[in-house]
Amino acid sequence: MSEAREPLNRVCVAGGGQVGVLAAIAVKRALPTCEVMVLGLPPDPVDFADHAASALPFTNKLHDRLGISEQAIIARAGGSHRLITRYIGWGGQGHYGALSYGAGGEADAAAFAREWGGGSRGNSGVRPAGSLAEALADAGRFRAPPPGEQTPLAEIDYALRWSPSAYHAQLIGEAQRLGVTHIEGTLARIEPDGVGGIAALNLAGNTTIAADLFIDCSGAQAHLLSALPDHRAQDWSDVLPQRRLLFAPPGEPLLALEDRIALLPEGWLLECAGRGGLQTVLCTAPDIGEDALLRALGTAPVYDARLAAGRAQAAWIGNVVALGDAATRFEPLGFLHLDLAHRMLALLLEILPGQSIEPLERAEFNRRAGLMMDGVRDTLAVHYAAPRATQVFGSTVQPEGVTRSIDQFTRRGRLPFCEEHPLLGQERMSLLRALGFAQGVRPQDRTSGFRNAEAARKAFEAKTSAALADTAPYGEWMTAQLQPRR
Amino acid sequence: MPAASSSPVRVVVLGGGTAGWMTATGLAKLLPGTVEVQLVESEDIGIVGVGEATLPHIRAFVERLGIDEAAFMKATHATYKLGINFRDFGRIGESYIHPFGSFGEEVAGVGFHHWWLELQRQGKADPIGEYSLAVAAAKANRFAPPAQDNTLASTYGYAYQFDATLFGPFMRDIGLANGVTRHEGLVTSVERDGPSGDIACLVLKDGRRIEGDLFVDCSGFRSMLLGQECEEEWEDWTHWLPCDRAAAMPCTHETSDIRPYTTATAMPAGWRWQIPLQHRMGNGYVFSSAHISEDEACQAIRDAAEGVPLADPRVLRFRPGRRKRSWSRNVIGVGLASGFLEPLESTSIYLAQMAITYLIELFPESGRIDKRDRDEFNRLVDMEYDRVRDFLILHYHATQRDDSDFWNHVRTMEVPASLADKLELWRKAGRIEKYSDGLFYDASWIAVYVGQGLLPERHDPRPALVDPARVASALGTLKQAIGSEVAAMSGHVDFLAREAARLATPA
Repeated sequence: MSEAREPLNRVCVAGGGQVGVLAAIAVKRALPTCEVMVLGLPPDPVDFADHAASALPFTNKLHDRLGISEQAIIARAGGSHRLITRYIGWGGQGHYGALSYGAGGEADAAAFAREWGGGSRGNSGVRPAGSLAEALADAGRFRAPPPGEQTPLAEIDYALRWSPSAYHAQLIGEAQRLGVTHIEGTLARIEPDGVGGIAALNLAGNTTIAADLFIDCSGAQAHLLSALPDHRAQDWSDVLPQRRLLFAPPGEPLLALEDRIALLPEGWLLECAGRGGLQTVLCTAPDIGEDALLRALGTAPVYDARLAAGRAQAAWIGNVVALGDAATRFEPLGFLHLDLAHRMLALLLEILPGQSIEPLERAEFNRRAGLMMDGVRDTLAVHYAAPRATQVFGSTVQPEGVTRSIDQFTRRGRLPFCEEHPLLGQERMSLLRALGFAQGVRPQDRTSGFRNAEAARKAFEAKTSAALADTAPYGEWMTAQLQPRR
Repeated sequence: MPAASSSPVRVVVLGGGTAGWMTATGLAKLLPGTVEVQLVESEDIGIVGVGEATLPHIRAFVERLGIDEAAFMKATHATYKLGINFRDFGRIGESYIHPFGSFGEEVAGVGFHHWWLELQRQGKADPIGEYSLAVAAAKANRFAPPAQDNTLASTYGYAYQFDATLFGPFMRDIGLANGVTRHEGLVTSVERDGPSGDIACLVLKDGRRIEGDLFVDCSGFRSMLLGQECEEEWEDWTHWLPCDRAAAMPCTHETSDIRPYTTATAMPAGWRWQIPLQHRMGNGYVFSSAHISEDEACQAIRDAAEGVPLADPRVLRFRPGRRKRSWSRNVIGVGLASGFLEPLESTSIYLAQMAITYLIELFPESGRIDKRDRDEFNRLVDMEYDRVRDFLILHYHATQRDDSDFWNHVRTMEVPASLADKLELWRKAGRIEKYSDGLFYDASWIAVYVGQGLLPERHDPRPALVDPARVASALGTLKQAIGSEVAAMSGHVDFLAREAARLATPA
């Protein structure tokens, strides 16, 4: 007879940023009888997930599950929609590509997608959209359809952006409503529990926090995980050498359906739009003069960081689970920080332990979380393997999975499946095309694919026209959304 | 010799059984212009024709080849299959259905089986199969195609049970109509290319020479090209899967009803199958020759089979395991020539189909084989075989039977580490090791674990926090909804008759 496990009585989330508060909400919702407290610790500027103004579509699903209202994010947290990430110059000077989300929406017949969806055509200047999302972004038209509505817009997956401080406040409000408690403090000492984990945290001023489970959301400093004797770091510098990041001060508010990642001779430049202001980051190429870097960034940086990439060998040790930045460090290329933190959180919810933790359960979490973290590393490595990126940044070690993916994509037009990857198969294809890799022809498409290409193009055009007719300019729709409801 | 890139690649398929004709027809139909397919078969060599039961994947294969489902079913005397009924595996007298479908659905992020385990602990749950539409429909001998939306009616899939000796010829006719050249004759020798060592030509008894760029070995257990000629190493799995013989004996149907599922009944030295086709019942005893003689096994299947035997039992011999590499030089093994896993979960035709699909994706269009594609093919095939292997071993190992040497061996044997970890995770925490690629996901593992009486020690803490009356009521509602869905389905026989009538009526 199987017994229900004794549920967790007390959970302490270390780190009160947007990752920690959402983790607390998630645990409290899963275990309403559990006492959940957030220990606020001073954040660090390289806690990218905590400062992130955007994630990937997965976050919308998690929000939905946890009762975080998308409409509230739009109405009160400066929310906006990203349909695509525009990649500029990765495949060569003047090359444009677009990463769109979801399994559908891509101009599907493979041959058609190759012909029209970027890649080698990128230089001609005339390049029809490769996905419905891109067509809408090009036209600047969009509306988020309500669930269940029959419209071609329903097949578009989008990412949300927000103003981190307002979003954080929204999460705090929700956490308070659920009864999550909050302590601000400075960590003075960690009391080990004698079996590899933590018995209690001692804060300066004699406060002691004991808990069954500690969730480390303290960002890059990983206050809890890094203090454990069994913690081991895994260095990624062979694949992702230490790079310098320059952050521009927030720019003017910008409502847009796309964000941009441009490859310049000085490095890559990320521009993330948003109602809270344009965010710009430059990741610098080696041996570029300061003046050139400042010109590329367009202003003097407010923050200058050097980042050594890597991950924890195990994100869950004893009774300590580290999420996101507390388990992984990497550059902010492609909105992956918060996505990773959220996927690890969802995994923890799936394998939520009881008061006793089964070692094999922990091992299963670590196996899958490890695949997630490596999937992020490989996604970044694909960027640096792009034809022009190797000229700007030089070559580095390529993980075996990346070599295989690029080889299979370019020669065979297919991608090997990757478990726990941040992007779906179609999205990985979309990214590779956006980065300037030309997709090979799949053997089965040689005849039928080309035969079907014309029909697929027509179907795609019809769908695009319908979607365009069904939308208004994005700004108009957004303004209407923000009108106070009567 | 590599062909010039403009001329088609010459593919020679050796063997005219199920795998051979699936390969030849699949390549000819899906790579027209790229390939020139020749198939060598001999009437002197019988076909094994195991694998009368299939998995839902076969539908995609049939559909991709542009074959009308009803026509295909008519030609192969096919019936619908919603799962497999396993009898006496966990314990004599107990049975469960492993459905092509799920049990309930996740609630509040917690897998259905945890809710069921909690209710079961409280003594308020019905057997888990009662919460699966596929199981309920199978038990009621009813069938309807699944819905395409996200409703309850979409929570299952189906496959076919067909006459494998008719499937090959059905594929052959399509292959021949699509340009496959068939050669009747026995291969007496193989010629190799000097410098590369690749196979260049098959020489037939009458002196005909069949040259090719790529050779697909579908010669069955003999593995004439991959095993004998290329001496590709064999990985033996007999220790874990000791069954190495099957005694097959078709019978008449004993009732007018046709079950939309396959039955696997554990026997003292293996298990026996019952596969209902339109016109007969397939029967057979898969056994371990170390534990029972062939004569005894034949007698056992005679005694056990219901219906009138249509032939004497025919014994097939096999070895569980696989070639270390299924693609070696310019030879690709498909089907039994590449590996064998006993038909306990009807995976034989799937494994052939899987290899054909990957071969098409990685096809050397120029005639020159890229080592990276060969490695990728072998990596994918290995993964599929290993996952199926572990799942099959589970059926034997998760048992309480101690009534024969055979069951004592499989119950107590050491299992592969990959399976031992999965088992332990289930035992301790009721969790399934997750993967998204390959065969057999959560629901399949749960079906076998629970069905064979292997309940975990502990399950997720969350269901115990919810008012038990609410959980019981939710499960009751689900059961009721399943009952209504099943009641709305046709009887399996009626559905088959309607499909046959539809096909007979000109459009």
